[in-house]
Amino acid sequence: MSSEERKITEHDLHAYADGALDGPARAAVEAYLAEHPAAVGEVEDFKRQSETLRALYGPVAAEPVPHRLNAYRIERESRIRTVTWSRMAAAAVLLLAAGTAGGWYGRALYAPETPAQVALVDEAMEAHRVYSGEVVHPVEVWAGQKDHLQSWLSKRLARTLTVPDLRSDGLTLVGGRLLPAANGPAAQFMYEDDTGHRVTLYIIPAKEGRETSFRYASLDRLEAFFWTDEAISCALVGDLPRDRLQEIATQAYKQLG
Amino acid sequence: MSRIMDEIEECVPALRRYARALTHDPDRADDLVQDCLERAIRKRGLWRPSGSVRSWMFRILLNVYRNDLRKARRSPAPVSLEGLPGRDPAGLDVQPGRLALAETAQAMQALPAEQREVLLLVAVEEMSYAEAAAVLAIPAGTLMSRLARARATLRSLTDNGAPKLRSVK
Repeated sequence: MSSEERKITEHDLHAYADGALDGPARAAVEAYLAEHPAAVGEVEDFKRQSETLRALYGPVAAEPVPHRLNAYRIERESRIRTVTWSRMAAAAVLLLAAGTAGGWYGRALYAPETPAQVALVDEAMEAHRVYSGEVVHPVEVWAGQKDHLQSWLSKRLARTLTVPDLRSDGLTLVGGRLLPAANGPAAQFMYEDDTGHRVTLYIIPAKEGRETSFRYASLDRLEAFFWTDEAISCALVGDLPRDRLQEIATQAYKQLG
Repeated sequence: MSRIMDEIEECVPALRRYARALTHDPDRADDLVQDCLERAIRKRGLWRPSGSVRSWMFRILLNVYRNDLRKARRSPAPVSLEGLPGRDPAGLDVQPGRLALAETAQAMQALPAEQREVLLLVAVEEMSYAEAAAVLAIPAGTLMSRLARARATLRSLTDNGAPKLRSVK
């Protein structure tokens, strides 16, 4: 009765409309509504408002999630960054030593990685993990068609690519493939040594055209040297000792430049 | 991969929805979500299963959003209805003839931030009052009064008497 009714507040109507009441509380509001048509209209209004808001914003959650919001990718990238920083001191010594001979990679030694560089390494390592263990189809185009491989990937990346010859480092070309990267196509060349160890060279077109120094990253036993040349960004990935990988990267850099 | 990473990943669509609804700016919304994910992933070792991962993620997103507002002293850009029907600047699909949605979109941006935050958690994210209050770190009573005010304001902005919009031939 009226003593019951007095207990129903506007907040109860909201809670009722939001389905937040159960049992006796719900029954009390229903009894109240039966005698107060104006309150029924109010509850309907609340519900309609919520439905309109869900119709307005709901579709956003059904959109495909952009690559950059992939939680696993962010997690991997955060690990790459950590490892790079913790090894900076060691890498710096190494690069300075190499720098006296080569000159070019001593530059901007302490500059932090840009997000684009971290993404490059992440993609290159992912691609390496997926394809280097592949027995039947490690590549799309085999080394036997090297000229075709070179012209095809040059065309797709809109850059003049040279497939580096790394035989002086004991690596023979297996072949290559086209891959989807975050911002367009990527090329991957695969090499192996006489023990079957595989090394991959991952290349994407560079936008800014700013050359960077040689950088080094490591994650889960995989090592990578990466750099940006005039028109391309590259990452050489393998599970070889770092100094060996650096020799190979230097060789690849010279031939690609 | 750890279970918490799976749970974080599962939150992403809802976080995007909430961020888009708060900002009405798709790029900025995704920037906020990315920032939120980076923080959560960096600090996931600190997370203790006393609450849900979802509440925790929404709390982080709100912090990121408020910091961003403070930093840029930004308020949501007013939505113009002149471009309607079609796609409004919020990047939300506003179909021709669905003027109620466009009107609501505009009204939502006129709401005070604290009312908008509450209303979206309850109406769109369909959180319980207890969870929404925990996300916003406010008492239940405060949540209820903000919710009531948000609904009243929204109603006054969308349907007092004659429609403010007429369809154009």
